[in-house]
Amino acid sequence: MSDASEAVQRPASETLLEQEYALPPEQRFNPLRWARREPAGALGVVLILIIGIMSGAAPLLNTTDPKSLESFTSDNLVGPSSDYYFGTDRQGRDVWSSVLYGGRISLKIGVVTVLVGTVGGTLLALIAGFVGGPVDFGLSRVADMLFAVPSLLLAMILDVVLVDKLPDLPALPAEELARVLAIAFFFMPGAFRIMRGSVLEQRSGQYVEAATLIGAGQFRIMLRHILPNITGLVIVLTTISLPAAILTEATLSFLLGSDAPSWGAELSGDSRQFFKNAPWLAIFPGAALAITVFGFNMFGDSIRDTLDPRLRGRI
Amino acid sequence: MWNYIIRRLIAIPLMLLVLSLVLFLLIWTLPGDAAFTAALSIADTVNLEKLQERFGLDRPWYVQYGDWLGGIFVGDFGDSLTPPHDSVMGSVKERLPKTLEVGLLTIILSAVISVPVGVISAVRRNKPEDYLLRAGTILGISVPNFWTGTLIIIYAFVWFNWNPIQDWVEFTEDPLKNLAIVIFPAAILAYSGAAYTARIMRSAMLEVLYSDHVRTARAKGLRERVVIFRHVFRSALIPVLTVVGLQLGTILGGAIVAEQIFAIPGMGLFALERIVARDYTAVLMITMIFAAMFMFVTLLVDILYTYVDPRIRY
Repeated sequence: MSDASEAVQRPASETLLEQEYALPPEQRFNPLRWARREPAGALGVVLILIIGIMSGAAPLLNTTDPKSLESFTSDNLVGPSSDYYFGTDRQGRDVWSSVLYGGRISLKIGVVTVLVGTVGGTLLALIAGFVGGPVDFGLSRVADMLFAVPSLLLAMILDVVLVDKLPDLPALPAEELARVLAIAFFFMPGAFRIMRGSVLEQRSGQYVEAATLIGAGQFRIMLRHILPNITGLVIVLTTISLPAAILTEATLSFLLGSDAPSWGAELSGDSRQFFKNAPWLAIFPGAALAITVFGFNMFGDSIRDTLDPRLRGRI
Repeated sequence: MWNYIIRRLIAIPLMLLVLSLVLFLLIWTLPGDAAFTAALSIADTVNLEKLQERFGLDRPWYVQYGDWLGGIFVGDFGDSLTPPHDSVMGSVKERLPKTLEVGLLTIILSAVISVPVGVISAVRRNKPEDYLLRAGTILGISVPNFWTGTLIIIYAFVWFNWNPIQDWVEFTEDPLKNLAIVIFPAAILAYSGAAYTARIMRSAMLEVLYSDHVRTARAKGLRERVVIFRHVFRSALIPVLTVVGLQLGTILGGAIVAEQIFAIPGMGLFALERIVARDYTAVLMITMIFAAMFMFVTLLVDILYTYVDPRIRY
């Protein structure tokens, strides 16, 4: 009894407790052991790293920035060669460069989108789970309703509606910002549903009852007790949603076009008429996209199985 | 049971009503009148004012909404904001059957592929055939369908000198020609859909395979075939049914991509064209039709549950 109250008053004993319950070194997370147990996940990590590093280091890898003027050359529609690894397009632009630079955009939008979508969905789920009553009912019905609209259609409408209204941010031009918000909205109803279930489940846990008894406020319980307990699920949800986000970004860029050379945009628009004579224009951006999504799928599945195998088949 | 169905049938129009209001507000308040005027003025600068009046854009949004809602009840879906300002209802009537045909074929193909793949993959767990099928399903969910579609078109031409994009032919005119057109969009949509369903099928089967009632079934000496199909398969169908129901939304979304690639003049291509043209009357109506279809299918799936799983009663 006295121990417990001291633990609450003196943070020093919390550190002691942590030391006592810390895992012995051999049980701590070891990437190499994880890789051996989850070879598919490790393959995913390797693929993601390769794509990520190559996009990040694009200027060092014999490329010309596709947005710069010198990217236009007179060698148009040349097949893959030692000068142009992936061939060139109609305006003589190097496909190898646009694939690497396109990776930057696809990865950036994918990651930002998933963060906005899952974090937003989680916050709404916390609010719904705690305030309850009409707020919970209202948010849940809105989620049900949004579920009924094909998410791609909704994302397209939002993208078009928002793009005329948004300002240019330093790192995100209005076009990309609209795309981020549209795709984030695509994920929010799903994330909200899963997280709401988890919040309600945690809320009925005994530790919440205990915290309420020592007089913790609702807000404190929400942030200090429940949030840490659902963080694992948030991480799983984020990794699992990443490939879908990248794929959706590509699909939106494919359908609606994009100023930036993203992977989806390279397969769309005027260049399609040259594909039959210059298949490399279609093959390489699509392959880069497929490999990235494949890597993230493998990685996400393994992360889910490692962190919480019970989620298999649910998300 | 009937009670439940009737309650759900009443809820659907109510949800559609709220959805229409939300969409109306989203579209009408966010872009403001400027966007509409822009959509109209691209079309026609001379008659701009007359057009604004015709579409009632000079009135407050709630009057416009009331008008729109009143129109729905008499089967008037409004006219396109973009020329030739034809009735949205007419386009929908012409285009919806094409998308339904593609969608139906997708669902059939997807079920025919995914169920055996899931079952074999689970029963032969961690055997070579399981690895092979799993690799195939992971590819199916990773490879973007607009890329698969594009590659099919390129290589059908390069290898066979044949163009899969043909002018639309009605099924009633020439069934074979019609199927030759519809099979490609359906196949690429079915591949990604089936891959997803097969993965769910596999994990659902695995979960049931190690449960008590299956052990009992084996213990009383039933043949393996009977155990798998009568005991495991039926229980495993429940989560699969949920996924297949939800997939309708993905298929309708996918129809936008597939119809665009293979130039099928259906609802998906209609949606894309109208969205790009910022023709919001049409966009609103397309969204409502897709949502209504989804809601009815969800209800159908919920009713089907009671047949697959007698424990579920409403």
